[in-house]
Amino acid sequence: MGRRTVTRAEAEDFLYREAQLLDEWRLDEWLALFEEGGRMEVTTTDWNGWDSSSAGAFMCDDYGLLKARVKRLKSRKAHAENPHSRTHRMISNVIILEQGDETVWVAANFIIHRYRDNQAFTYVGRYEHVLLVDDDGLRFRLRRSIPTMETMAPGARLSFIL
Amino acid sequence: MTQLTHTDLTHTGPGGPPNHSLVQEDWEALTFKVHRSAYRSPAVFQKETSRIWGHTWLYLGHETEIPNPGDFKSRTLGGRPLIFCRDSSGQVQVFFNACTHRGTILCRHSEGNTKFFQCFYHAWAFSNSGELAALPGDDAYTDVPGFKERHRLRSVPRVDSHEGFVFISFDPDVPDLMTHLGEAAHYMSLTAKIGPQGMQTVPGVQLYSVKGNWKLAVENAMDGYHFAPTHNTFVGYLRETGFAVTDDDQYAYDLGDGHGLLILTGHNGRIGMVWEPRFGEAEKERTAAKRQEMEQRLGKELAAEIADASRILFVFPNLLLFDLEALTIRQLEPVEAGRTDVRAWQFVETGEPDDVRALRIKTMVSFVGPGGLATPDDIEAYEAVQRGIEATADSADPAYDWSDMSRGMANEKQGNQGRSIDEGAMRSFWRQWSRRVEDGTPGA
Repeated sequence: MGRRTVTRAEAEDFLYREAQLLDEWRLDEWLALFEEGGRMEVTTTDWNGWDSSSAGAFMCDDYGLLKARVKRLKSRKAHAENPHSRTHRMISNVIILEQGDETVWVAANFIIHRYRDNQAFTYVGRYEHVLLVDDDGLRFRLRRSIPTMETMAPGARLSFIL
Repeated sequence: MTQLTHTDLTHTGPGGPPNHSLVQEDWEALTFKVHRSAYRSPAVFQKETSRIWGHTWLYLGHETEIPNPGDFKSRTLGGRPLIFCRDSSGQVQVFFNACTHRGTILCRHSEGNTKFFQCFYHAWAFSNSGELAALPGDDAYTDVPGFKERHRLRSVPRVDSHEGFVFISFDPDVPDLMTHLGEAAHYMSLTAKIGPQGMQTVPGVQLYSVKGNWKLAVENAMDGYHFAPTHNTFVGYLRETGFAVTDDDQYAYDLGDGHGLLILTGHNGRIGMVWEPRFGEAEKERTAAKRQEMEQRLGKELAAEIADASRILFVFPNLLLFDLEALTIRQLEPVEAGRTDVRAWQFVETGEPDDVRALRIKTMVSFVGPGGLATPDDIEAYEAVQRGIEATADSADPAYDWSDMSRGMANEKQGNQGRSIDEGAMRSFWRQWSRRVEDGTPGA
């Protein structure tokens, strides 16, 4: 089936909307941005392009784990996120890398500021997502975050969605 | 394994903490207390750096991180920058990462492959076995061969390995590695025997840092009591996948010299060894086949010892080996009293099928690491303790500034094996800590 062309503006709208949902901790709506069977990865800081199934990672969620993660983060027993961190996401440098029949590959840069316990943490990195192109919008097939930092700074855990 | 009995542990007895100690145990009153300055005080931290990190074997890395001649990793251990490399003849070498000329960091890359390490400052170049190979403008020195020999790259005084786990010591006068490892060596060997073609680390190293004292990370790993409340959401996730976690019939062991072990039976599945619904049907069949393979290779008894129970092994002072659903090597690098750098490697069976490798990585990462469904809550615990213990520092009533670790002492005093959900493994760690840090007589 021939698909429509995805513009940078449409990809930006999708990413901005996602950032808003995450910053507002609207996790059920966020999960709905994934197709059934979608995946999420956060690579380690030594990542060199390898396949996530062959090496270690910070996050490597299939759809079942993704749902479990959302359920966990909504629980007040997710101690690392009770109370929730305050996050503030800036997304920029959005590029359409490649458009296929069914999917579009999108890259973007992110800076996420996280605040908790009177401390501030900054996460810098880039996204390389594979998005399913539907008639009515875009959805994650693979959501991949690639931290730019050399290591997670003291206290900078990944208890939230990067 | 040593079964602890109260007669070994009277606080006035040999090897026990002295009365001025930050560790107080009393087998009449059944109390065990740790003074909170042990986690907080820069002076205590300095003593630890010198008396523990300066004078005992430390886990550096695994041989499979540097499989080929010329492979290297640069890594800081005990606050000292090191080069961990395999020289061109295949020998593992560990050097201080400082040019012998003026002390410049010699290797500024975190990993790679090279025959020579060349200092950028004055272009001195050292072979990967440590010889000073190139000395620009050597006509300004007399006795060039002798000068070069005196300026070889400095090796750490002791390097040895067990089952591919490479340890170093900055003190040349430590007992042999196997003496240091003692009973812990056996449990490292059990894990090393899981794969018919051996075990290896893979890339994808979790590097993170926690705002907590290193001893809080040790306590957390040796503490089965926290599992149900701290990991409530993880236990809930497992329940939904069809697996009920139990803490029954699980025990903690003092392996001597501060090494500790939890043996957890029925606590979780083990990929290839104990099936769990979340591993999927294909893995169920493979688990049966792998058990046959292990029994043929190792005998029924050893195969059962390796496969049937999960183990969390702590090798004093900086190695944690998690042999659970899958395997993780975790290394602790204390930076200051309130900060610990952590490095964690996935440890896998060499040559296993791609789908098993993928299942292993997915399953382990879903639990461990700063982005897992469980470890972030452990990190929250270390960091909340580190913040909380400020509350009672120099308090009007000095009794407020002690933490309690007496759980299970009455049971232990009766001669029973300590449960994983008691605090016996933490107590044996703290006893060794006190011998090292407070008596100043390492190994006493």
